[in-house]
Amino acid sequence: MPEVVMPRLSDSMEEGTILRWMVSDGDEVTRGQEIVEIETDKATMAYEADADGPLHIVAEEGATLPIGATIATIGEAAPAGGGDGDGASAGAASPAAEPVAAAPASAPAAAAEAPAADRVPAGVGAATNGAGGNGGGERVKASPIARRLARENDLDLRQLTGSGPAGRIVKADVMSALEGRGATAAPEAPAAAPVAPAPAAAAAPAAAEAPATNKGEITYEDLNRTQQVIARRMAESKATVPEFTVSTDVDMEAARELRAQLKAAAAEGQPVPSFNDMVVKASALALREYPRANGSYKDGRFELHSRVNVGVAVAGDDALIVPTVFDADTRSLGDIARTTRELAASVREGTIRPPELSGGTFTVSNLGMFGVTHFTAVINVPQAAILAVGAIEPRAVVRDGELVARHTMTITLTCDHRILYGADAAQFLARIRELLENPLQLAF
Amino acid sequence: MATTRRRSQAARTGRRPEAVPPAGGHVAEPLDLRAALRQMTLIRLFEQESERQYKRARIGGYCHLAIGQEAATVGAVAAMGPEDLLLSSYRSHGLALAKGVPATTVMAELFGRQDGCAAGRGGSMHLLDPAHNYFGGWGIVAGQLPIAAGMALAGVKEGKELAVLCELGDGAVNMGAWHEALNLAAVWKLPVVFAVFNNGYGMGTSVEQSNAEPEIYKRAAAFRMPGERVDGQDVEATHQATYALLERARTERQPAVLEVMTYRLRGHSVADAGTAYRTKEEVAEWAEKRDPIAMVTEKLIAAGATNEELDEIERDAQREVDEAVAFAEASPMPDPSTLAEFVYGDPDTGRQFSRMGPGSPAGEAAVLAQLEQAA
Amino acid sequence: MATTETGIETMTYREALRLALREELERDPSVFLMGEEIGVFQGSYKVTAGLYDDFGPERIMETPISEEGFVGAAVGAAMSGQRPVVEIMTINFILVAMDQVVNHAAKVRYMFGGKVGCPLVIRTPNGAGNQLTAQHSQSFEGWFAHVPGLKVVAPATPADARGLLKSAIRDDDPVLVIENLQLYKAKGEVDTSVDGAVEIGRAAIAREGSDLTMVAHTFAVTRCLHVAEKLQADHGISAEVVDLRSLRPLDMETVAASVAKTNRALCVEEGWASYGVTAEVASRISLACFDDLDAPVGRVGMAEVPMPYAKSLEDAALPHEEKILAAALEVCGA
Repeated sequence: MPEVVMPRLSDSMEEGTILRWMVSDGDEVTRGQEIVEIETDKATMAYEADADGPLHIVAEEGATLPIGATIATIGEAAPAGGGDGDGASAGAASPAAEPVAAAPASAPAAAAEAPAADRVPAGVGAATNGAGGNGGGERVKASPIARRLARENDLDLRQLTGSGPAGRIVKADVMSALEGRGATAAPEAPAAAPVAPAPAAAAAPAAAEAPATNKGEITYEDLNRTQQVIARRMAESKATVPEFTVSTDVDMEAARELRAQLKAAAAEGQPVPSFNDMVVKASALALREYPRANGSYKDGRFELHSRVNVGVAVAGDDALIVPTVFDADTRSLGDIARTTRELAASVREGTIRPPELSGGTFTVSNLGMFGVTHFTAVINVPQAAILAVGAIEPRAVVRDGELVARHTMTITLTCDHRILYGADAAQFLARIRELLENPLQLAF
Repeated sequence: MATTRRRSQAARTGRRPEAVPPAGGHVAEPLDLRAALRQMTLIRLFEQESERQYKRARIGGYCHLAIGQEAATVGAVAAMGPEDLLLSSYRSHGLALAKGVPATTVMAELFGRQDGCAAGRGGSMHLLDPAHNYFGGWGIVAGQLPIAAGMALAGVKEGKELAVLCELGDGAVNMGAWHEALNLAAVWKLPVVFAVFNNGYGMGTSVEQSNAEPEIYKRAAAFRMPGERVDGQDVEATHQATYALLERARTERQPAVLEVMTYRLRGHSVADAGTAYRTKEEVAEWAEKRDPIAMVTEKLIAAGATNEELDEIERDAQREVDEAVAFAEASPMPDPSTLAEFVYGDPDTGRQFSRMGPGSPAGEAAVLAQLEQAA
Repeated sequence: MATTETGIETMTYREALRLALREELERDPSVFLMGEEIGVFQGSYKVTAGLYDDFGPERIMETPISEEGFVGAAVGAAMSGQRPVVEIMTINFILVAMDQVVNHAAKVRYMFGGKVGCPLVIRTPNGAGNQLTAQHSQSFEGWFAHVPGLKVVAPATPADARGLLKSAIRDDDPVLVIENLQLYKAKGEVDTSVDGAVEIGRAAIAREGSDLTMVAHTFAVTRCLHVAEKLQADHGISAEVVDLRSLRPLDMETVAASVAKTNRALCVEEGWASYGVTAEVASRISLACFDDLDAPVGRVGMAEVPMPYAKSLEDAALPHEEKILAAALEVCGA
């Protein structure tokens, strides 16, 4: 009787929520058949059965369980309680082979099935031996269409009061909640200017109101699932990583000239590499030369990766998402430009998939479009470093003893001091600068 | 039980029911006794083979044998005209064979195979062959009676010169359908002869026990219909009696009841030993003294038939039975993908059912798909 | 009302049935009628009035009181290639012929491997009212819709009565046409200039709406239409009424599409709801429209009692409009 356990669908996933069983208890399932939709901190995924036989559901829809907890069994025996924290389960059976990159704060914006969790996550952070069966919390009474609409619109049913019989949440309740939600705060950024991890504006509808104080009326907003994850990971990063930062100013005149030439040379509809694309390529080439900057400190060891996968932070709908440009060191600038455009479009449309969000070894974050000159980004655990990119602006600099105006961009590298030391960090950063100031080298 | 033609004791000392002479004057051509014996032998051997096959689980469900009733069967059917239609109860193998339905298709139907005369859908109780004017083979006691009346009605409407011979058992005459069908036949003057094959027992209950009027032919009077009785073990007498009534039905639209006195040497069905409700002595007496095949054989011997001829008849019949079994064994089982075939026959059926799908219970979708394909 | 004239006429449900019978008797010589009192008496509900004079006793066959007998005879005639149309005076009397309908008519083609068919029509009214008491006030159409091998249609309007009866007569399979005592006098438009046959297996939207789907057949459709008006006027609820028209086959596509639109469903029938037509439809809606439902599917039928004689009791037992309205409001969560 093979057990179906909560799979580890991303390397940051600690627990998942059963969104929807796609088959019924007792149904015959076959290996490879999709049987359940699970919501992770990043995305919602369909998970497949890895055996043939009748399915016995253990965890109900809405249950949030740690990785490794039994959610069902396949086979003749009745489901047993207690799964083992079988970390290998994710690797063995998960349809997405690669773990999803842990962005500081990310969730797919308006993803197709970003669900309403109507359970309180139990045992946050601790990968315990999950008990089979339902986690704590009560089941919310809602009609099937109310559930569906809430799910499709990333609305938490627990926020709603039901106007139906016996307090059932009905369609009208969901519809009026959606209307009251209002516009989202974070602007949707085009590919070139991703938003740094700022605290996301809460999107959940206003719940109760407290009496007025000298700060005016207080409105409480509960965090949605994504926001909870962001908050948790930010704190984790800051709390656990001994970080330091190094910055430098890059002269972008040559880069600007190259860009103008590329623009002129580009064919109709061919994406022109942006400055951020150049930063991505430059970082990738530099990472090849500084393997520790491409690695992780984990469990008392350095983990060095043979591939250079650069994550590019993109602002989604009230969320931060970091899609990965795989093997950025081997791709041409044009290819990187194409890739970052496509990824940004996927994020905007909500069609980004977990494999595209995973596997990053380094992250680039750019707030230049807002005129920010310099900022410090938070490390995307467990990566070794993150590069924050500011605006390109004409500045007064001294060249050969003379004061001239040069287009300059400040880049700031935040590093995990357990794997990257000061000198390495400085040299790595300098290499990036060198490549950007001699941009024809980006062709290699 | 093998044929008993060789046994010399064919003494007529067994109980002989009173035969009621026919009221009409129609006289049949003499019966070809060799042909009659051939048919009766075929029926006997076929039924014995069915019993064997049933016990080997090749034939399933219910299997009602007519061993002992061969003369009644062959005699009555031989009296039918070329347009006449035959309906019967479920003790039907012999009647189907006598009517000319190929033994191959009958055995294949018993085996539940595609090439059975009902495509494996009906089994022993639902044989049918329109090409030979045999319209079943019906499982509900007396269910065929109103239907027989209706087929006679259709014949009249179409201006056909036909009569319907409707066989039924003695157990059917207490059903409401007997009363209603006979009444309708009489009121509408339908050309149907109801031939009650009285073998003394409705399943395990004797005729005396269950009939207020056990002399069944008399009950025709309730409908002002002629009722006659004949010795069903005498193939010639049965032939003549049936012929006269069918003629009158056909030419005068006069329905009638013919009580055919016979006996089944086996139980109600293969599953019934037939001993709980009758004595071994009774069965033995009929077997030894009133075996219809023995009686015909005696007549043929007396008329000069040789042992070789008689042997050949038996061998020939056995060959036909063996062929039938081989045919049945070779015929495939109907494929489950044809499960819904024949549920309906109207060509629009597929379209009519094409919108029934949403919310259907498990498995219905497959049936609906077949209905749509079959159309 | 005469033989086919051009144009749209207003006529009663019974006149529409009569028209269909007349047209089919004229069109196909193998069609003939059978039933009690359908000739000289002109039919106990006057559906066959005038036909005996025009077509004679061979084609309008009066029967003794012998349902099992003449339904069986109709089966035999149908097997022989005729197309009998049997009238069972009311559906209550079909019980004595159940064996011929279910064990014979429905089984003939299949049991005999497709070698012979049974193109039989049985027309019979269901329904209650007028204090007809327990044995004469029943609605068993669900029992027949249950049986593979049969087709069951249930017109609610004169045009559909004419159209479905024609289709039933032309169909090569045994078809029950369920009429209704209360509907016989209902009036509606019928376009006599066209053939007007209505395909079996197609429901119709009797009234469009957006907040609630009411599913019904025969007289229950009439009740639901009245209730829909009250729902709109008094409660601002816009109800859509689906007239099933056909019970076997059942047009679930139309029903499911309606429920997907309104998210709420109420099934109504004249007979007892338990194990009835509404049980079937509601169960299929729950399967087909699970994620579209904003409330459980409701059902209304006759009260689960044998129909009593006293007017006060009968009125209480019928699936009357107050009962339907209350059920509708409950489904709407109001």
